[in-house]
Amino acid sequence: MNIHRFVLAAAVGLPVFVVAPCAFAQVPADAAKTFIAQAGQQLVGVVNSDASASQKANQLTQLVDQDVAVDQVADYVLGRYQNVVTPAQHSQYLALFHQLLAYNITYQIRAYQGVTFAVNGSSVMGNDTVVDTTVARPGQAPADVGWAVDEVDGGPKIVDVIVAGTSLRITERNDYASVVTSNGGQISALLSAMQNQINRIAASQ
Amino acid sequence: MLNSKLARNYVAKAVPKSWRMAAWAAPALVFSGLLAGCATPPPASDSAGLQAFQEQNDPIEPTNRFFYAVNDKIDHYAFKPLAQGYVDITTVGIRNHVGDFVTNFDEPGRVVYFMFGGKSRDAGTALVRFLVNSTAGIGGIFDPATALGYPETDTDFGLTLAEWGIPAGPYLYLPVFGPSGARDVFSLPAEFFLTPLEPAPTSLGVRVFGYSETALHLVNTRAQFIQPIDQIEATALDPYATFRSLYRQERASQLQTIDQHNVLTTPDWFPQPAGN
Repeated sequence: MNIHRFVLAAAVGLPVFVVAPCAFAQVPADAAKTFIAQAGQQLVGVVNSDASASQKANQLTQLVDQDVAVDQVADYVLGRYQNVVTPAQHSQYLALFHQLLAYNITYQIRAYQGVTFAVNGSSVMGNDTVVDTTVARPGQAPADVGWAVDEVDGGPKIVDVIVAGTSLRITERNDYASVVTSNGGQISALLSAMQNQINRIAASQ
Repeated sequence: MLNSKLARNYVAKAVPKSWRMAAWAAPALVFSGLLAGCATPPPASDSAGLQAFQEQNDPIEPTNRFFYAVNDKIDHYAFKPLAQGYVDITTVGIRNHVGDFVTNFDEPGRVVYFMFGGKSRDAGTALVRFLVNSTAGIGGIFDPATALGYPETDTDFGLTLAEWGIPAGPYLYLPVFGPSGARDVFSLPAEFFLTPLEPAPTSLGVRVFGYSETALHLVNTRAQFIQPIDQIEATALDPYATFRSLYRQERASQLQTIDQHNVLTTPDWFPQPAGN
């Protein structure tokens, strides 16, 4: 069926696993598949559990911190502006990035109730080992999702999510870069936008 | 809001045939729009900003953002409520079969696009898909061709132009049609003519069928994206930039897929050669 999956790409992974490309050691295919299978089962277990929404959000945030190279993600998303950001701004940016990630996870929990997850195969893409999976949700067409895995700090970590050829890390990077360029290259504008987004999501929950 | 091919491949077909002249004129109108609403590049001293500006390749961003806002309103008050109502009265299975049916209408056009792009294998696959799905698939309601080893490969005239080496050019966000580009905008006039209904004799029945298929196409497609689009609008810092990025990545991915699929294949039901 002719489904235009670039939007689905963002739906599946944008707020949950926005990650950075890190030029670390390549993870063997079998190890990457095992890692993703475990992470996926943990994710599904939390989302489909009987816990409250806030409990699920906390558990998912811990899961993301454990399995995703969040700080590296944040730096990749910041992109070329890493060269102009001050240390204080960088610290604030990382804190906001973590907070925004947590809020976005909370936002999505309801939509992912009933999710199932299956590991299919793996391939090598540059420095990454990409594990192919099928993510299915009730009432939605199944989506093929690729999870790019690298070795970070001595262990495998997710560094990107790829759906139908669209990379979530690139998407997020372009999103953030647009905010900065629209405001005269001011990193402070990005920090304000992130804080506003956090406030907006918090108010809607 | 209408986005990417939800607009390009669906809305384009949704517009009545009487709008064809407007479709032909669309590229010219778009390029005349380049004269207005240009974005101001950062100064050379802001190297990071200038580099980002050039990568975005969105020289008429203010105009594009205006049309993005217009389309967003149209979607908010028309398409999305319709799609929500449609979801309420249909099942996933029904929506999938509707998707297969309207996709089957794209296949004849794809045969032509692939041939012009020099992708003979892809063209053959699209032709077999149309023949199989139109017959064994009961007019395209089912997709037995995929099970037989003829998977769908999407394309359009913009991608044919890309195969000819024409670069994507600046990003364009069109009124009603949504995300596009200086190259891809030429898909609009092409798509009006490459449908199975085009050679059919003019009659009230054909016209009613065409309008019905078009309406179903639009609503069914929008229904598939209710949650994803809501999510992007809720979580992205700049949804316009997010959709722009996704559009470009998807186009690059489609080109890769066309090349990957354009190889000698053996259908699943045929004895596989040694080494496969």
